[in-house]
Amino acid sequence: MSPHLEPGDFVVVNRWAYRFRPPLTGDVVVVRDPEVPGRFLVKRIFQISPEGLVGLQGDNTARSRDSRAFGPVGKEAVVGKVWLRLRP
Amino acid sequence: MSLLHSIARFFDRIAPAPAAYAHCDIPCGIYDPHHAQMAAHTVVRMIDLINQLEKPGPGATPEQRQEYMAKLSRYVLVKEQHAEIAKHEVRVLWGDYFKPDHLKTFPELHDLVWMALKAGSKARQEVNLQAAEELLKATNEIAVVYWKTKGLETVRAKAPYPTERETVYPKFH
Repeated sequence: MSPHLEPGDFVVVNRWAYRFRPPLTGDVVVVRDPEVPGRFLVKRIFQISPEGLVGLQGDNTARSRDSRAFGPVGKEAVVGKVWLRLRP
Repeated sequence: MSLLHSIARFFDRIAPAPAAYAHCDIPCGIYDPHHAQMAAHTVVRMIDLINQLEKPGPGATPEQRQEYMAKLSRYVLVKEQHAEIAKHEVRVLWGDYFKPDHLKTFPELHDLVWMALKAGSKARQEVNLQAAEELLKATNEIAVVYWKTKGLETVRAKAPYPTERETVYPKFH
């Protein structure tokens, strides 16, 4: 997610962000890694399909493993929206 | 150092928050078992060459001994290096390429990797043709699994190298 997020940044995640409104393209979200159970990813939403599937892409596209590799994820995989970034 | 980051770090030490990853290594996605197989062939070849090398007898001249030592050193060096390359390549496939789902389909994978690494170590420690052949065999079996995960059948053919051992190749249609 470089340059918007760098290793070591803390992010504060709003878990209730999508209770009353759907995810939007451009949102930075924390999702459950569809490939590695128990691991979380932070990505940007670049597409929402008509079925509500969330397409994710890292900002550092050349080095990101995201929906281009593992496909879109279900809405239930989205943990929440990144609300705040704390940088050293 | 920003104050908010320091506060967050303080709380993270007390109650660690899970990490969110933005990328794995560099997900290049480019893997091939051939490197491991080729390195194993080299180890076999070096052991053949060491065994074929004529040992200097009691009447050998200093020059003959020197030549023997020079050749032996080169063969041993390359054997060491390539056994390590084979081990490294197998570890990369194991650690980076193969996923838990692959293991469900191919439960023999852990054993194969273990065999390859053990045989690789033995091939380094000794001048042991059997160990080198076991290393090659294990890398071949790992190649079978690898190509199956890519949806490709494999063929076993005699390698076109001086080692002439059986080698697994993918069958491209």
